[in-house]
Amino acid sequence: MKKSIGDNMIPKDWGFERGLDLIKKAGFDGIELWLGDVAWFQMATTDAQVRELRRKVENAGLVVSNVSTGLHWASPLSARDPAVRAQAARIVERQIETATLLGTDAILVVAGLVTDEVPYNEVYQRCVEALKPLGEKAGRAGVKIGCENCNSEQRFLLSPREFWQFLNDVNHAAVGIHLDVGNIHDTGFAEQWIEIHGPRITRIHLKDVLKHRGRSGDQSVYTNLFLGDNNWPAIRAAMTKVGYDGWLIAEMEARYRYAPDQQFYDTAQAMDRLISGRL
Amino acid sequence: MDLTRREFLGYTAGAVGMLSLPQQQALAVQPRSEPFQRWWTMYSDPSSYDCESMRGYWSTLSPKPWSASAGDRDPFARLSLLIAPYVVSLLPYFVDCLTCALQRGTTVVMESGAGFADHCTFRQHRRWLRENLAIRVVSPRDPWANHSPAGARYLEFTWPRRVKIRDFGPVVAPADQQPGDVIAWAGDLAVAFRRRVGKGTLIYLGSPVGPALWAGDADARRWLYAVADAA
Repeated sequence: MKKSIGDNMIPKDWGFERGLDLIKKAGFDGIELWLGDVAWFQMATTDAQVRELRRKVENAGLVVSNVSTGLHWASPLSARDPAVRAQAARIVERQIETATLLGTDAILVVAGLVTDEVPYNEVYQRCVEALKPLGEKAGRAGVKIGCENCNSEQRFLLSPREFWQFLNDVNHAAVGIHLDVGNIHDTGFAEQWIEIHGPRITRIHLKDVLKHRGRSGDQSVYTNLFLGDNNWPAIRAAMTKVGYDGWLIAEMEARYRYAPDQQFYDTAQAMDRLISGRL
Repeated sequence: MDLTRREFLGYTAGAVGMLSLPQQQALAVQPRSEPFQRWWTMYSDPSSYDCESMRGYWSTLSPKPWSASAGDRDPFARLSLLIAPYVVSLLPYFVDCLTCALQRGTTVVMESGAGFADHCTFRQHRRWLRENLAIRVVSPRDPWANHSPAGARYLEFTWPRRVKIRDFGPVVAPADQQPGDVIAWAGDLAVAFRRRVGKGTLIYLGSPVGPALWAGDADARRWLYAVADAA
């Protein structure tokens, strides 16, 4: 397994190159690039500029593990407005294009968003229908779409079996799950999600979760590895059981009040412990 | 008007079939006895051909393949129900067909597709409705905007049967004081009406029902079956 971390974790005033140096020094093998979430990688970033990003990543001794985006929170594939849906599809297409340019084979998509206005049944059906043609495009490009389980935030696909059924309904080999072991909160157990989805897992996001805290007010439920309630030995065992040997990508909130770079070193070391099973 | 048969078939969605209403007891809908009752959908432009609303009506009314003969010069002649899903405007030829159909006794469901439209498109829509069907509407609005908390976002249909169907985004509500009976409300806002036109009935929906049909809403199906039964 290889270790990666998102470029959206790079301290805001550091810049891309300095961030790459930090990620390499901390011991990571790769970087997750977030389309639309960082200044250097936007929808308007040209192909030439994307190639330049790749050159910088490789010069730093890293590779791109995958292309993610948070843009679908504002422009979901499940929107009722056809214009918003078209923009959401265009974002996925750009992710696929840039993944190819960056030399990686996986993208992360937040597939749908259930709200009080847009009900569950509509979201489910729209996402299935949107992902079929996008899966075709991704498949032709040799890229896999990983739909992230953002259970509580999306209010969508809340159980592993339902997510499994969703992927069955999409029914495309290029569409799988980008599994976040911190997003399950108190609605289940990450190790069971891993076991159920096995070969359909495109990438794994790592963070820990404070299950007892719940989601109230502005308190975050997320925390750094080993500080929360995830059962890490069980998670590691499930990875072994299903033969997952792909990228592990740290995705946590920047919580260090001082010395923000220390979070990178601590996280990389925790990931080493997880990979080696010294838990 | 120059219109090839291919264009004609294309713009009318090519789906005329015998109306085949499901007869499950649970739906409590009695199918009509006339064996030649037909329904049809038409759409405004090719981009809306595949819209959710169109597919909602199609899947609910289970269209069979095209059944009009090549020599059928007036395919609307025996139409009992004509549905125009998610429409912004229609070609003049279809407006003529629609007007003739109404005069002969067809029930026409005209569903506004301008709820999410930009200002320019909405103005086009509003003018088209006014000039062709004498329907006056007001700008799209969220009927729940002043409700805090918003509560249930249901449209309350009162005709042809009482059902609750989820709203679909901004509503293109009919303006006050025009002919017809209100048949659906979003809170205090009238969102749909029916009006006699010739021997037929014009049903205007300011909030599309097709997407609810497409998403599998049982009440939306019941409502449509009841409309078809009344047609």
